[in-house]
Amino acid sequence: MAAGHRHILVVEDDHETAGQLVESLTMNGYQVNVAANGSDAMNLGLSSTFAVITIDRMLPDIDGIEVMRSLRERGIVTPVLIISALGEIDDRVRGLRAGGDDYLTKPFSFVELLARVEALARRSDTVIKETVLRVGDLELDLVSRTASRHGRDISLLPREFQLLEYLVRNEGRVVSRAMLLQHVWDLHFDPTTNIIDVYVGRVRRKVDDRQYYPLIHTVRGVGYCVRAPS
Amino acid sequence: MALGTASVRLVETLRSSTFKLALIAIGLFGAIVLTLFSYVYWSTTSYVTGRLDSAIAAEQLALHKTYDREGRGGLMTALQQRATDERFQDNLYLLADPSYSFLAGNLKAWPPDLVGSEGLQNFRVPSKPGASDQSMLRAALNTFPNGDHLLVGKDADDLDAFKGSIETAFIWGIALIFVLASVATVLVTRRTVGRIEAINVTSRAIMQSGLDKRIPLRGTNDEWDHVAENLNSMLDRIETLMQEVKQVTDNVAHDLRTPLARIRGRLEKAYHRKRDGEADQELIADTIANLDGVLRIFSSLTRIAQIEAKAQQVAFRTVNIAEITRETVELYDAAAEEKGTHLSFVGDQHVCVTGDRDLIFDAVANLIDNAIKHGRLAGHVTVEVAENSEGAAVISVTDDGPGIPATEHQNVFKRFYRLERSRRTVGNGLGLSLVAAVVRLHGARIEMLDNLPGLRFRLLFPASVVSNSQTGKRETIAS
Repeated sequence: MAAGHRHILVVEDDHETAGQLVESLTMNGYQVNVAANGSDAMNLGLSSTFAVITIDRMLPDIDGIEVMRSLRERGIVTPVLIISALGEIDDRVRGLRAGGDDYLTKPFSFVELLARVEALARRSDTVIKETVLRVGDLELDLVSRTASRHGRDISLLPREFQLLEYLVRNEGRVVSRAMLLQHVWDLHFDPTTNIIDVYVGRVRRKVDDRQYYPLIHTVRGVGYCVRAPS
Repeated sequence: MALGTASVRLVETLRSSTFKLALIAIGLFGAIVLTLFSYVYWSTTSYVTGRLDSAIAAEQLALHKTYDREGRGGLMTALQQRATDERFQDNLYLLADPSYSFLAGNLKAWPPDLVGSEGLQNFRVPSKPGASDQSMLRAALNTFPNGDHLLVGKDADDLDAFKGSIETAFIWGIALIFVLASVATVLVTRRTVGRIEAINVTSRAIMQSGLDKRIPLRGTNDEWDHVAENLNSMLDRIETLMQEVKQVTDNVAHDLRTPLARIRGRLEKAYHRKRDGEADQELIADTIANLDGVLRIFSSLTRIAQIEAKAQQVAFRTVNIAEITRETVELYDAAAEEKGTHLSFVGDQHVCVTGDRDLIFDAVANLIDNAIKHGRLAGHVTVEVAENSEGAAVISVTDDGPGIPATEHQNVFKRFYRLERSRRTVGNGLGLSLVAAVVRLHGARIEMLDNLPGLRFRLLFPASVVSNSQTGKRETIAS
C-alpha cells in the first residue's frame, strides 16, 4: 500500500473535534493533515495526494460542499467524506450529488468514522474480482450465492447472503449499522430501531451456531466485524 | 372628545385606500358623463340649428328672386304682404337702405350690433317693444348690389330654451352624481375601514395578549366574513401548532432530561469514587449507550422536522411501493420470528407512486415495527399492497393485538405520545409522527381502523401518473 493511501486530510474548524479526529486516525495508522478553513483546505487538497478527505459542512469561510466542488472541478478525485451537524435527507442528497462519496452526521462515534474512512480509502485500491470469499472456515461462493462453514452448507435468504458478503468483504474492519443499511438495503438514513441488530442476529445464528469459533463479532455501540481467530 | 374621535375617523376615512379608489372611480365616471352630455348637447343643437338655417336660407332665396325680378319696390311689397300673412308670423324681415335706415319689414330697426355684418348671425332683441326680457333671434344678412341690406330671420327662442334646459340638466346631473357618489364613497369607505379596523383590533389584541382572541363574524356570509373565517382558522392552526410545539418542547425536555440526569448522576458518583478500571470501563460504555439513546431521539426529531419542512417532492420519482414494502417485510422477518409473530406480505407486484424510497421504507418500517411490538405474542401481522377501485395505492398493516381505543386514535400521531400500557416497551413515541409526516409530504392519507381484534393502518397514496396496469399476479410470502 502506497504511503499516500494512509494519508488523510481533515477539514474541521472546531479545534477539539479536529484534535479528537487526528488522535483516533493517527492511532489507527493514518497520517493526518488538518485544515481549519476552506482556503487552507483548497491549498492542501490541491498540493498533496490524500487517500481520503473529510470535510465539515460548516466552515468559517466557505461551505464545505463548495470546497469539495472546487476540488472536483480541479480534477481532484480523492474520496470525500462529508461531515455535518446539519440534518439528513436533503443535505445528504445535496452533499452526495455535489461529488461527496459518503456522509456522516454529527455527532458520530469515532469507530463509525474510522469504518467509513477505511471503506473509502480501500476504494482507491484495486477491487479484487474473486468468485469465492473465505474467512476462517467460512466460504462464500459468489457465483452460486451459497455459503458453507467447514464444508457444511448454511441456508441463507438472498438478503442474508448479501449482508454476509458485505461483512466478509470488509473482513477485519468495523461495519456500522448505517453502512449495512446503506449497502445491503440501499437505504440512506440512520436506523432508529434495533432492527439491523435483530436481522444480523439471525444471520449470526445461522453462521456461528454450533461452530468451532464465532466469526461475526459485535462492536458495541457501532456495528459488526467479521474476524477469524488468528 | 367626540369631535376628536369624529375627526380621527374622518382622517382615517380620507386616508383609506378604498376612499382613494372610490375617488378615482368617481373621476372616471364624471369624465364619461361629461363626454356623453357634451355629445348630446352638440348633436341636438347642431341638428336644431341646421333645421333653422335651412328654413332661413329658403326664405332668403325666395326674397332674392323677388328682388331680382321686381327690384326694391317689389321686395318692399312682398315684405308688407308677409307681415300680415299668418304663415310667416314667426319670421323677421327687414329691408334697409345703404345707411341702415328702415325701408320695409316687421323688424323696426336694424340691430346696432349687426351693422356691417354679413351671413348668419345670432342676436337678441326685446321680445316686445319696451319689454325687459329679450328673445333670441337667428338671421341671415346680405347686401344687394345697390347697397340695400336685407335681414331674414327666425325666432330662435326654442333653440335657446332647448340649450338652456340641456345645460341645466347637465349641471344638476353632474352635481347629483358627485353628491351621491361622495356619500356612497364615504359610506362604503367607512364600512370597509370599519371591518378592517375590527380585524386590526383583534390582531393587536392577539399581539398583546395571546392567541385566544378571534375576529367576530357578522353572519352576513360576505367576503369580509370569509376573510375573518379564514384568518380565524389560521389562528386556530397557529394555536394548535403552538400548543404542539410547547407539548413537544416539554416532552423533549422530559425525554432528554431523564437520561441526561441519569448519566450525570452516574458520572458524578464515579467522580467521587476511587478509580477502578473495570467499573470505569463499564460506566463509560453505559454512558455512551445512554447518550446514543438521547442522540437517537434527537435525530428522530430533526428528521421529522425536516420531512415536515421539506419543500414538497424535490427528490421524488416513481417508486414501486409493492417492492419497497416487500423489502421492509423481509427486513422485519427476523424481528417477527423472534417474537413468534407470523409476518406476511400479500399483494400486487407493481404498484407505483411518486415518492421517496427511503421515506416510504422508513414509514412502512415504523408501522410494521409497531404492529410487531404492540401486537399479540405469536400473533399475525399482515402487510398488504394493492390498488383500490379509485386508483389509489394502498399499503395496509394489520395486527391482531389489543388495538387502540377509539378515543386515543387521534393522539397516537402526536410526538412522544405513548399509550399508558406501552410505556414499558422500547420506543420513543416518535414512530407514528414520522409516519404522519411522510404521509403528508406524499400527499397521502393515513387511516386507522379497528380490526377487531387488533389494528389496521392504511396509507392511501394518490393515484400515480404512471399506469399501474401491469399489476402482475398477486404474490404471497410468509414467514
